[in-house]
Amino acid sequence: MLRRDFVRAVVSIGFAPRLLLSQQTANPAPPPPAPVPWTLGLNSKTPLPHTEVVDGITETERRFFTPVQMAVLVRLCDLLLPPIGDKPGALQAETPLFLDFLIGSSPASRKKVYSGGLNWLDSESQKRYKRPFAKLDTMQADGILKPLLRTWMSDHPPTEPHVDFINIAHDDIRTATVNSKAWSDVSSAGAQASTAAGLYWSPIEPDIHAGNSDCTRMPAHVIAAPKATHSIPAYPR
Amino acid sequence: MTNETFDVLIIGSGHAGGMAAKVLTESGVRCLMLNAGPVADVARNAQHKPAYELPYRGFKPPGRLEHVFQASEFNANVWVDEQEVPYTFDAANPYNWVRVRLFGGRSLFWSRQSFRLSDYEFKGKSHDGFGEDWPISHADLSPYYSRVEDIFQVSGAMDGPPQMPDGNFILDEDPWSESMQRFMAAGKSFNMPVCKQRRALGRDGLASSVNLLLPDAENTGKLTSIANAVVRELTVDKNTGQPNGCHFVDRLSRREMRVKARVVVLAAGTLESTRLLLNSKVGNSSGLVGRYLMDQIYGAGVTCSVPEARNGKATKELMGGGAIVPRFRNITTKSDAFLRGYALNVTSSIGPVHPRNFATYGAELQQKLQEYHGSSFYMTIMGEVLGRYENHVRINKDKVDAWDIPVLHVETKYTENEYNMAKDAVEVGSTVAEAAGFEVLSKNIVPNPPGYSIHEVGTCRMGDDPKRSVLNKWCQSHDHKNLFVVDGASFTSAGWQNPTMTILALSMRASEYLAGEMSKQNI
Repeated sequence: MLRRDFVRAVVSIGFAPRLLLSQQTANPAPPPPAPVPWTLGLNSKTPLPHTEVVDGITETERRFFTPVQMAVLVRLCDLLLPPIGDKPGALQAETPLFLDFLIGSSPASRKKVYSGGLNWLDSESQKRYKRPFAKLDTMQADGILKPLLRTWMSDHPPTEPHVDFINIAHDDIRTATVNSKAWSDVSSAGAQASTAAGLYWSPIEPDIHAGNSDCTRMPAHVIAAPKATHSIPAYPR
Repeated sequence: MTNETFDVLIIGSGHAGGMAAKVLTESGVRCLMLNAGPVADVARNAQHKPAYELPYRGFKPPGRLEHVFQASEFNANVWVDEQEVPYTFDAANPYNWVRVRLFGGRSLFWSRQSFRLSDYEFKGKSHDGFGEDWPISHADLSPYYSRVEDIFQVSGAMDGPPQMPDGNFILDEDPWSESMQRFMAAGKSFNMPVCKQRRALGRDGLASSVNLLLPDAENTGKLTSIANAVVRELTVDKNTGQPNGCHFVDRLSRREMRVKARVVVLAAGTLESTRLLLNSKVGNSSGLVGRYLMDQIYGAGVTCSVPEARNGKATKELMGGGAIVPRFRNITTKSDAFLRGYALNVTSSIGPVHPRNFATYGAELQQKLQEYHGSSFYMTIMGEVLGRYENHVRINKDKVDAWDIPVLHVETKYTENEYNMAKDAVEVGSTVAEAAGFEVLSKNIVPNPPGYSIHEVGTCRMGDDPKRSVLNKWCQSHDHKNLFVVDGASFTSAGWQNPTMTILALSMRASEYLAGEMSKQNI
C-alpha cells in the first residue's frame, strides 16, 4: 500500500470507529461513557430538596465573648427580654450566641462597645453586690440597669460610656429576638412586634474580581469615625 | 463596524439620564447610554424572606456599608459596595455617600417626596445676601415642573404657601385626622403652614426612570443602552479640545473599551459626574468643579404620643395621615440663629410606638408598648445646608477603586447654621406638639452625618458668570458647548426640598435646549 493510501486508511478508521465496531459485532456494546450533556440535567421539573434554618436544630459555638462576658450577656438578655405571654424570650430565641456571632464578625469599634460594656457590668456588679452580674437577682440587676436607660431616636443612641452599651445592646437583643424563628413560630397580637420580612435582594451579577483588586488590599480608609467634637453619631450600625 | 459615533453619549441611567434619553430620542437624536451597573430584575434577583432565613437575622452584614444607614440585610446588595468603590475623608468629618449603580440608579428606591424649589431658593442671595442666586427663577422652570409632575403622577393639594409652589397634581382630598388638625391649630402661633404631602405615585407601584422614562426612549428606536460600563474618563479631541466620548471598562470582564459621540451628557449622579470631570481634567476653567457640596440635614426630630389614642382607643378619625411643614423660618421674619430654613415631615400613625421611646425593659416595656400602641405622632427635619466653598470633593490620587479609577476625597462638614437649625426644629416641634396636647417621648437635635439625606447637590454649580460657576443656565459647560451635566451637580443652592423634581425638570429643560441647538447645527 502506498504511504498516502495508508494514511488515508488510518484517518478514515479514526473518523469512523463506531461504524467499524457495529459492522464487526452482532450485539453492539452500550455506547462508551462519552461526555453526557450534564448541564441540561437540572430543569424546572427537578424537585428542590427541602432545608431548614439552623435555629432550634443546631447549637452555635461561642467564638468571640469570653465565658464571663457570655454569662453576663445571657443574664442581660434574660432580664431585658424575658418570655412574656406566649412569646419566647431572648434565651429561647438563642439570642446570646447569635450576638456572639454577629458582634464577633463586626468591626473593632462595635466589638469594643460590647466587650467593654459586658466587662463594666460585671465589675459594677462586683463593686455593688460582691457578686458576678450573672448571679444577680432581678432587683439588684434593675438597680444597675434602670438608671442607664434612655429614650432615643433612630441612629442616635446615647454616647456616654456604658449608657451607650446598655441602650444599644437592648435594641440589638430585641431585634435579634423578634427576628428569630422561635419568635416567628408564635403569632404576634396587639402590640407584640412581628418578625421582619420582606424582599431580600441577592447579589446582582456579582463582580468576582473585586476580592482580588488592589483597592481591597489597601488599609481601610472608609472607617467608622471616632466620636467627633460635634456629637455626630459614631456608632457603626 | 464598531466605533460608530453617536449623537449623544449619556452617562448614567437614573432620573437625570433617563429624562435626557427620553427627551433627546423623542427629538430624533441618537443616544448611547452607559450605566456602571447591571439591570436589576426583581423576579430573578429578589425573593420574599423572613429575617430568620438570613445569615444576620436582618442586621446589616457586619463591616459592610458602614456609611449607608439605610442599609439592612434585605437590601444590602443593591447599594454600591464601599470596598469596591471607596472614597476617603478625614475621620473627624465623616461623609455618608449613598449610591446605587443598578440600571435606574437611586430612582429605583427613592422616597417619592416631590416638591418644587421656590424663588426663596432660586433667588436666595437676593433674599438674604448669602451665596449666589441661580441664573434661573421658578417661572423659568415652572412649565417643566408641570410636565414632570404629570409624568410622575404627583399627588398633593393646592395648599402651598409661596415658599412651596403648587403644581400639576392629582388632588389629595383625603380629610385630615383629628390629631393632624390639632397640630395644625397649635402651629398657627409660629406661622407654620401644614400642608398635604406631595408624592410621586408613578405607575404600577414604581416612579422611576426605568418605568416612566426609559421605555419611552427605547420605543423611539434611537436609544442604545449598555450595562456594566464603568466610565474611566472622558476623551478629548486633540484638535478641537472638545470632549468626544469616553474610555470605559466592562465591570465584570475588565475589558477596556471606548465610544465616540458628538455631545456628552453627564448624569451619573452629583459626585460621580464631578469625579469624572476631575479625573478627565475637563470643564474646570473656573476651578470650581468639586466646590460648594451641599445636601440637607436629616435625623433631628421629635417623637410624641397622642394620649387620647392610647389603651386601644385609636381610631382612623383620630390618627393617621402625613403632612409637610414647608420652611416657615426666615420667610417674613428673620432668625438670629440661622439663615434659610427647614421643613418638617409630620406623621400620625395608628401603628406601634418604637420601644426606644420608653426607658424601661422586660414586662414593664411590653405593658407600655401595649398602652401606647396606635398613638404615635412624630416629625423629622429636612433642613437646607448652606453652600460653602470649603465644602468640596477632590481626587485622591493615592487610592483607586476596583477598576483602578482614582477615588474621591470628600471634605465637608456642617456648621453652626445647620446645628442651630436642627435645635430650632426640635424646640419648635416639641412646643407645638405639647400645645396640641401630645406627650413628647423622645427628641434628637443632632443631624445625621453629611450625605445621609442622599440629596447631595452642587459641585458643578450653574451661574451666568464663567468665573464663578461651572455650568450655564442650560446645565451646559461654560468651557465646552457639547458637554452637559444634568444631575444634581448643577444646583446653586440646596433648598430644603427633596431634589428629584428639580433634577428631572432641569434635565428636561437642558435636553430640549440641547436638541434645539443640535437641530440648528449650533452644536
